[in-house]
Amino acid sequence: ALTENIMDKNFKEEKFTGFTKFTPPLYRQRYQFVKDLVGKYKPKKVADLGCADCKLLCMLKFCGCIEVLAGVDICGSVMKEKMHRLSPLPVDYLQPREGSLTVTLHHGSVAHKDPCMLGFDLVTCIELIEHLEESELKKFPEVVFGFMAPSRVVISTPNSEFNPLLPGVKLFRNQDHKFEWTQLQFQSWALETAKCYGYSVEFTGVGHPPRGMENVGFCTQIGVFVKKYPQTSVSTQSEKPTEAVFKAVYPSLKDEKYLQNAVVREVISTAQIIKEILLNRLMLEHGEYNDDPTERKSKFQPSVNCFSDIGKLAVEKSKESFVSGNVVYIPLTTIFSFPRVNRLCGTYEKLSKLVAGQVTLSSDSSAVILNTEPEDS
Amino acid sequence: MTGRARARSRGRPPVLESAVSSVGAASVHQVLPVQPPGRQQPRVYTSLSEEPGGRGCQSERRPEGLQISVGFQELSIADRGGRRRDFNDLGVNTRQAIEHVQDSKTGTSGVTIKLTTNYFRLTSRPQWALYQYHVGYNPEMEARRLRSALLFQHEELIGKTHAFDGSVLFLPKKLTNKVTEVFSRTRNGEGVKITITLTNELPPSSPTCLQFYNIIFRRLLKMLNLQQIGRNYYNPNDPINIPSHRLMVWPGFTSSILQYEKSIMLCVDVSHKVLRSETVLDFMYSLYYQVEEQRFKDTCAKELIGLIVLTRYNNRTYRVDDIDWDASPQCTFRKSDGSEISFIDYYKRQYNQEITDLNQPVLISQCRRKGGNTMLGPVVLIPELCLLTGLTEKMRNDFNMMKDLASHTRLPPEQRQREIGRLVEYIQKDDNVQEELRGWGLSFDSHLLSFTGRVVQREKILQSGNAFDYNPEFGDWSKETRAAPLICPKPLDNWLLIYTRRNSDTANILLQNLFKVTPAMGIKMNKATMIEVDDRTEAYLRALQQSVTSDTNIAVCVLSSSRKDKYDAIKKYLCTDCPVPSQCVIARTLSKPQTVMAIATKIALQMNCKMGGELWSVEIPLKEVMVVGIDCYHDTLSGKQSIAGFVASLNQTMTRWFSRCVVQSRGQELVDGLKACLQTALRDWFKWNKYLPSRIIVYRDGVGDGQLYTLVNYEVPQFLDCLKSVGKDYKPRLTVIVVKKRVSTRFFAESMGALKNPPPGTVVDVEVTRPEWYDFYIVSQAVRNGCVAPTHYNVIYDTSKLKPDHMQRLTYKLCHMYYNWSGVIRVPAPCQYAHKLAFLVGQSIHREPNLLLSDRLYYL
Repeated sequence: ALTENIMDKNFKEEKFTGFTKFTPPLYRQRYQFVKDLVGKYKPKKVADLGCADCKLLCMLKFCGCIEVLAGVDICGSVMKEKMHRLSPLPVDYLQPREGSLTVTLHHGSVAHKDPCMLGFDLVTCIELIEHLEESELKKFPEVVFGFMAPSRVVISTPNSEFNPLLPGVKLFRNQDHKFEWTQLQFQSWALETAKCYGYSVEFTGVGHPPRGMENVGFCTQIGVFVKKYPQTSVSTQSEKPTEAVFKAVYPSLKDEKYLQNAVVREVISTAQIIKEILLNRLMLEHGEYNDDPTERKSKFQPSVNCFSDIGKLAVEKSKESFVSGNVVYIPLTTIFSFPRVNRLCGTYEKLSKLVAGQVTLSSDSSAVILNTEPEDS
Repeated sequence: MTGRARARSRGRPPVLESAVSSVGAASVHQVLPVQPPGRQQPRVYTSLSEEPGGRGCQSERRPEGLQISVGFQELSIADRGGRRRDFNDLGVNTRQAIEHVQDSKTGTSGVTIKLTTNYFRLTSRPQWALYQYHVGYNPEMEARRLRSALLFQHEELIGKTHAFDGSVLFLPKKLTNKVTEVFSRTRNGEGVKITITLTNELPPSSPTCLQFYNIIFRRLLKMLNLQQIGRNYYNPNDPINIPSHRLMVWPGFTSSILQYEKSIMLCVDVSHKVLRSETVLDFMYSLYYQVEEQRFKDTCAKELIGLIVLTRYNNRTYRVDDIDWDASPQCTFRKSDGSEISFIDYYKRQYNQEITDLNQPVLISQCRRKGGNTMLGPVVLIPELCLLTGLTEKMRNDFNMMKDLASHTRLPPEQRQREIGRLVEYIQKDDNVQEELRGWGLSFDSHLLSFTGRVVQREKILQSGNAFDYNPEFGDWSKETRAAPLICPKPLDNWLLIYTRRNSDTANILLQNLFKVTPAMGIKMNKATMIEVDDRTEAYLRALQQSVTSDTNIAVCVLSSSRKDKYDAIKKYLCTDCPVPSQCVIARTLSKPQTVMAIATKIALQMNCKMGGELWSVEIPLKEVMVVGIDCYHDTLSGKQSIAGFVASLNQTMTRWFSRCVVQSRGQELVDGLKACLQTALRDWFKWNKYLPSRIIVYRDGVGDGQLYTLVNYEVPQFLDCLKSVGKDYKPRLTVIVVKKRVSTRFFAESMGALKNPPPGTVVDVEVTRPEWYDFYIVSQAVRNGCVAPTHYNVIYDTSKLKPDHMQRLTYKLCHMYYNWSGVIRVPAPCQYAHKLAFLVGQSIHREPNLLLSDRLYYL
């Protein structure tokens, strides 16, 4: 039954809220809340407990700051059905991300002290706790706050005071919910837990109540827990590690192989732009152009104004390059001064190292060589 | 453009071709923004082909009752984009109507050859069947996810292996009862009665089963962590990098499972996906610095429209149909919930994608497939968020680049076989995949299918009383026939040679060399009228207007560059307003002294054909037969027109050809025009022969995957209709053969333990053909590198009563008759002529050429 509940948790409110329809849908607001938090605190390692169909993880994988993403769920089948959405896309290979990213999925209980879950900066438990049996709920704080002990924990759960505003909801919003708490119940549990494990907690939520009924509180109540002391000795013993049912390592520029590709690509494209500008200018200067009497592009004041920044730089920098015979020499230092190349390589030495053997260079390796005419056979 | 350059621009390597297929998305409307408000409804290209590279253009109708439900397709393919088309033309059974091939459709002549092919047998345990159930819910449940969740609460009943689309359930086992009722509970505690009713027990070869295999196979490929792009699957972990061209090539596979002659088989071929790590915006930037400002937008459109782009935030591919220069990412659009949002915010919120360039234009992609019940509108794409795939026209014309690429993608037989075997190896090694296969009771042979083919007798090239043999290994007789006189040389009494001042030397070199090479051919030649012009289009046109008379045999223009506008203007003028054969030559092709003689020879031959001359022939025993070739060209650029080239033989030796073409604008049926073509062709035949042909054999090229049904049910009846209208007593025998060049089938000849390309003339009509068709493969051409691609011939209508062997022989003979190449080609000459004609009209002329030229090969 849990399968169904977790699967359907994402769309239950929209379906039954009738007049209290949230835009964007409430589940999106919850995810957005987490995303904003990630954007603000830039955690490197994030775990989602009760990840279900991996939707939140899928959103989070676009966050550049995250290096490790983990999901845990008790139900393997939903996770397995949807896990492929966490695989790198073709684009991730073509334009690798700057930082590394590893995504893993674990099939297991949130009441289990899994050593794989250690060392996280942020742990999210979105609409999770209300699904826990009493015994699990009891063990939950010890596992999350005591054992995993991340710097931040986000816990969201339904606010039962809001339920009368949701048509069709009798006892609980979902059959599998073991309980639904009032604001007071949740806050006292949270404060108790926070106190016990050295965290502070702040309360907020998503899904505003209708005007005039503000005392009902948010439809979804959220507690954000922050660890008070960065270093607490972890002494609790871990249990058996759970099996990782899925693992994806994203290509990244941290990997020399991908970095080299990216640099070579950028160097060649920069060099080609400079070459074109240089040749255009030479042609103008020598008045050699005789194909079309119509005017040639004489200056780079693009009509499409997006083409200005790189253009200006390229025009300016093209002076450092020169043509000899039918070969254009573009100094590596020139190319290095372009922001995208610069950002990728960091140092000139690194640039030289990465392009060696990949790009045609002058004999002293100081300039990129391009032919003026594509040789035709 | 020279003939060669044009051929090159068209002649994409087949491996790449098959890889670059566009794929839409089934549920685009959920995720992708619709067009920004306030825009006019963009053009809708209903008649435009869906295949890149353009194939076929009929409106599509499919046989009913064999499609697995829409939901299933979604379950398997569409979750990463897929289309609902019957690519394999399942259920079009044409053989049953052709009486004389009921018992056998195989030929008999030639010597046998041992072949292997890229097929693997699918095996299942005896008495295997697939069980199809209908699953009903009471009360009715809407959401598919919910329906699955409720059903799979009963996994102990259903088992681990299953496929379910929300209403149809496939199981490898039969449930005890025909109707099973189970109860589930929803989250609200509502009780739901689920009724599982057995509706079908499918034998392994039923069409539904075949589609099912393909769905399961896609699942397996996904499990192997291959990335789906378009219809094929690619391995991203081991790309081939070509940094100098900023390209990346992913190796991968194209696969399909079908019922073939004797068994169900998996056909696997190597596919390569050309990917570019450039975004469309990067590409626009670099283009900006290469062209003049005023040509920038046009050039952009020319390079980009028709390309397939990959979006960076999901794994969908789109075809670029238009560029909207007035729009930008700052434009807003209305979401499905009615709220308005800008593209910048949308992509930021939805995918965390920053759009940095706020003034870039946007790309428009028309969605050509129906998504569920709603027709999807145009999709707006942001250049910065789209990556290019495939090659642009410019890259295709870059000889060095194509050479580089071919060295990676054109695999010789041995290597290709190894790569193909790799997929089966992956399948056999992966435990999860094996478990899934075991669950369904299926497995694949581990060896490529081997069988025996035939190599038919070699043809002799007949030229003015001489019969020449040629080396079958090269499939080329240019050396053998070099000094022989042509069957019908046309004199060059009165002809023009137009050139610019800069190229006056070149023009003279051409003239001198023509004087050297023409006597041996039997061509009488006078000195040309030499005309020097400025290097401007108008100057060329003025010279033509002033100097071309009704006596002019041919106008030869030496062009200084491959700029298309000059070429187009000349061709347009001389094909329509002033119908005179013309020959354009790019000066550079004559610049190398060591090759100039050979080139002059080729030009002389081409000029002779254009003036109505004949070069060679092969023996054609069949009498009173008119052979027709049809091919289509689709204007991918403007998306406006489709052109069908129509070519018909005029004489017994098939050395003279009548031609017409149909310029069809959007929404028009091609077939009406073809009827008119056939009528005029018959009239011309009568003029030439004083009687009407007793047999008509149509080779129909340019038919896309999944269009066979339309062809059989619309085009063929129209041909018959047309013949009926000729006269009451006129009852010629008609044969219609669909010619397909792009097939995944490859044959390897075993010779002394190694795999080689089979020799030209290899015919295969067993094992890998389809039982419901009268079809065969012929390898007619020879290739220097890579694997030779056989051509597939499907005789969809035939009252000729010709033995299959004769049909195959005739087809092969016709592959020798293309005068622009002294060798065997991939398709029968009429198809290639039709292609040339359609291409010329589609690229340069844009309307039907003057009928005064119709009995000459002016379009070569």
